[in-house]
Amino acid sequence: MTDPVKVSRYVAAPPSVVYSYLTESSRWARWQGAQADLDARPGGLFLMTMPDGARARGEFVELVPEERVVFTWGWIDHPGVPPGSSTVEIVIVPDRGGCVVTLSHSGLPDDERELHTTGWEHYLPRLVAVAEGSTLEPDRGPGAQRS
Amino acid sequence: MDALQIIAEPRRRRILEMVWDNELSAGDIAGEFDITFGAVSQHLAVLRKSGFVDVRANGNQRLYRANKQSLGALQRVLETMWTETLDDLAAAVEGDET
Repeated sequence: MTDPVKVSRYVAAPPSVVYSYLTESSRWARWQGAQADLDARPGGLFLMTMPDGARARGEFVELVPEERVVFTWGWIDHPGVPPGSSTVEIVIVPDRGGCVVTLSHSGLPDDERELHTTGWEHYLPRLVAVAEGSTLEPDRGPGAQRS
Repeated sequence: MDALQIIAEPRRRRILEMVWDNELSAGDIAGEFDITFGAVSQHLAVLRKSGFVDVRANGNQRLYRANKQSLGALQRVLETMWTETLDDLAAAVEGDET
């Protein structure tokens, strides 16, 4: 285990809008994955299906409207990061008329840090874009963008 | 998951091919695929757990290389498969030229 993976971005949109993209299934799927099934209450299901079929699953732990969302995270059929084995915390802090969103992913094995950093660095800007009102191309993952 | 199930997955075979004679970082490998970081991470974890790849740390990076010995007889199977694919391709190209 190691320090959390941490990615932070400024969003020119109010905290309430960002919060809605973290807690509503149809809105989540606009920035990450092909489908999200979120039951945004403590103990509720977090299930996100990537366009290639990889599925991240966990459980909501804590929700503070417009401020904070915490859920457990893991990949189904993944021997290194199984569901529930790690924790994602997303904090929203009002700033300059918009807000700063900081995502921390803790509990990852050392071997998984690099890929999960690449992953969140790909997805957080997509969250920023949709929260600011842009329409994005469907998600195809970090590799697709680079090539 | 047994050895055959592990190499039956085309993307895992492709990862093995990429790191057969080269050491590559997880990021380099992910950049080659039109799949998400979850899927790449999953395939690498399966390959790590089976011992078919060795991984070493280099700062924040993880560098991967195939462990050919650990594949036993499957080492030959994979090498033959990759060579024959190339031979087929070469034959097809030559066929086109005549």
